[in-house]
Amino acid sequence: MAAAGRGKIRNKKISIKKKLRRIFKRVSKKPVKTIKAKNVSLGMEEVIIEKEKFSHQQAQPAPHVFTEELPAKYGRDTLVLQVRDPWWIHAYWELKSSTMEGIKASIGQKDFSCARRVLRVYDVSNIIFDGTNAHRSFDIHINEYADSWYIDVGIPGRSWCVDLGLLLADGRFITILRSNIVNTPIDGPSSITDEEWMIPEDMFARLYGMGFGFGKTSPVGKIWRQRLLSSWSGGVASLASPAGIRKPAEKKFWLVVNCELIVYGATEPDARVTVCGRNIKLRKDGTFTLRFALPDGKQVIPVEAHSADGTDERKITPVVSRETK
Amino acid sequence: MHKGYLCLVLHGHLPFVRHPEYADFLEEDWLYEAITETYIPLIWVFEGLTRDNIDFRLTMTLSPTLLSMLGDELLQERYLAHINKLIELSGKEIERTTWQPAFQNLAYIYQRQFTASRDTFLRYNRNLVFAFKKFQDMGKLEIITCGATHGYFPLMDICRESLRAQVKVAVSHYESVFGRKPKGIWLPECGYSPGHDAILKEAGLAYFFGDAHAVLHGTPRPKYGVFAPVYCKGTGVACFGRDLESSKQVWSSIEGYPGDYNYREFYRDIGFDLEYDYIKPYIHPDGVRINTGIKYYRITGDNNHKEPYVPQWARDKAAEHAGNFMFNRQKQVEYLYDIMQKKPIIVSPYDAELFGHWWYEGPQWLDFLIRKVVCDQDELRLITPSEYLAENPRNQVITPSLSSWGWKGYSEMWLQGANDWIYRHLHTASFRMTELVKRFPDANGLLKRTLNQALRELLLAQSSDWAFIMGTGTHTAYAIKRTKDHLLRFLRLYEEIHTDSVDENWLRDIEHKDNIFPNIDYRVHQ
Repeated sequence: MAAAGRGKIRNKKISIKKKLRRIFKRVSKKPVKTIKAKNVSLGMEEVIIEKEKFSHQQAQPAPHVFTEELPAKYGRDTLVLQVRDPWWIHAYWELKSSTMEGIKASIGQKDFSCARRVLRVYDVSNIIFDGTNAHRSFDIHINEYADSWYIDVGIPGRSWCVDLGLLLADGRFITILRSNIVNTPIDGPSSITDEEWMIPEDMFARLYGMGFGFGKTSPVGKIWRQRLLSSWSGGVASLASPAGIRKPAEKKFWLVVNCELIVYGATEPDARVTVCGRNIKLRKDGTFTLRFALPDGKQVIPVEAHSADGTDERKITPVVSRETK
Repeated sequence: MHKGYLCLVLHGHLPFVRHPEYADFLEEDWLYEAITETYIPLIWVFEGLTRDNIDFRLTMTLSPTLLSMLGDELLQERYLAHINKLIELSGKEIERTTWQPAFQNLAYIYQRQFTASRDTFLRYNRNLVFAFKKFQDMGKLEIITCGATHGYFPLMDICRESLRAQVKVAVSHYESVFGRKPKGIWLPECGYSPGHDAILKEAGLAYFFGDAHAVLHGTPRPKYGVFAPVYCKGTGVACFGRDLESSKQVWSSIEGYPGDYNYREFYRDIGFDLEYDYIKPYIHPDGVRINTGIKYYRITGDNNHKEPYVPQWARDKAAEHAGNFMFNRQKQVEYLYDIMQKKPIIVSPYDAELFGHWWYEGPQWLDFLIRKVVCDQDELRLITPSEYLAENPRNQVITPSLSSWGWKGYSEMWLQGANDWIYRHLHTASFRMTELVKRFPDANGLLKRTLNQALRELLLAQSSDWAFIMGTGTHTAYAIKRTKDHLLRFLRLYEEIHTDSVDENWLRDIEHKDNIFPNIDYRVHQ
């Protein structure tokens, strides 16, 4: 949960200039924790509460069960991109050593040893990317041990593709792996306000059956377009204020003392026994044990036993008092 | 004349936890606790409403993993043992608290509740699915499906075959349980990425739920915000957006209802409070203290001092909060109706396990709320999504935005330093599953069983719950182990299929352990 506390509030109104600067200046293995004003408090509440579904883990000891490990590699050449949020994408990759050997052979040992390993991030929004036509790109220098990276792409609502490659001393770039293309979501309401409306076909057919429709030309699926004149109806609560989370107050040094009283005894196994007037159950050997939370004050505990044939009875009454100072 | 609709949605889900190889398994308690504290109390609410002729509407997910566990004989047997132990413990508590009337009164209440839980459990032949099905068949409850094992869809985008398997296995499992097709789906964690609606459409699903920004950040702008569903462009699958205002009233600890001082304190349980030897038979056999479900205190205040719980005060609060919730929705609807010139729909979805398990009085609150909405006013009308669409078929067409209802609204909860390592393994397994389906389009006998089990293991590894628990950062061992176990089983099955050396004894063993989806067909993974 510390993640939320560590975060920085990202300023929503970042100037274009700053945005551009960011695009060319992002190299960080660990993403800066960003907190969007929206959903922070609510989201965290939900995490805390949902976690309680799995609450027993609080008490779980470290398991001693040995689990076999998963393979470190699968012998594939692959580079996969995933979207974390509007601002960040995540890349992971695996490279066969034979692939690297092949590249080394083709460019020569000398160039290869001076080459730097980079992730080249392409903005491929609204184009069919052919390796050369990206709107722009930026490089992230990585080392040969890295196999995944969080990339701060700086602008939401774009499409991205990443090459893992070698940047040679003479500036040439050699692509080793190319990723899939991902689309990041926009970070606010769309600027497009054209409307399109639809009634599903089966619904419409039913409406016809109910006598709502006339004529042969079905308007089902027809697209109504009109400019939106009225402003966008929000009505959504602002969730900007960070909320605290209900949890047990921090315990530092503390002491709790409680008293309980154990009353036990024995009689004939078939006898009937009452304690404080209530029937109790005897063990098979005629013994019994009762346990009471013991509050301050005097407690009178009459124990009565009646023989099975009803002819005998015994009564013993312990009196116990507790005083807490 | 009503001016708007209220669509209450409860999302019921637990990951598949079933360990026949152990006599007693700690994490199985997640299910037993939820049965006693959430599912049965909800069933009581529905029974009471039906008895009193309250014409209610509620939408509820029962995830395929939850349905499978509720219907599993071994877990049913173990639940019975679990509730019997609780009844026994509450009996001892009645005796122990002889000189503490405030606690003894509660011990009696717990004993009655546990005994009634057992009666209800037995009345439905140990299978609570029958109870939910009954209310669906009566037209009061709309039960929707979920991802087969609650896999988080946006991080499966790279292997759509798995996504399709999550949806199709869920839909056919639903049909086998309820004897009809599901009308809608709860996307696990509300995780949606544009294009996934096409897979929902293929499976015959008419609608899903998104978080508010799925709709609000959709393109083009939604004219009515989240207060009317939208159709996804290209498929016509409807997306209902969550109303954040009504979510906040219930979730938030500051303004939210569950934090009221009169409500039961979740963190004070006799499993932790009482003397060790006394409580030992009722905690984990390893001697680890756990929650028993018997809790005697109310929240009381902000510090550690706690006072005994007073059920009547809590009940009064639940009624007051239900009234407050309804009042706020009425005002919201009036306001929106003016702006929209159309009846808004307020979609209020919650984790079902919030009710009862976390918020002990939640089921009472829901009961009061439904009764008040149905009987005491006429501005709001309870509705299910499919009823809404039947009455309001004309809706705007947009492309909803990538989103989830998790922390920060996107995928970070499931894609962060603590859990991002799983995806290279999960995706590789998905690609291999696709490869197997291509290679064996029509397998039979042992090979078919092996392929089916491979898909079961893959699906089980994909549960978002494991990544979620890893992401919370505490006590992650079980989640890591489950992820690895299922992946390792998958990988071994894959190798054995490749080398034509299937070990039938081992296969039988894991079929017995991971026995979910008995009628699975591996070919859905394509």
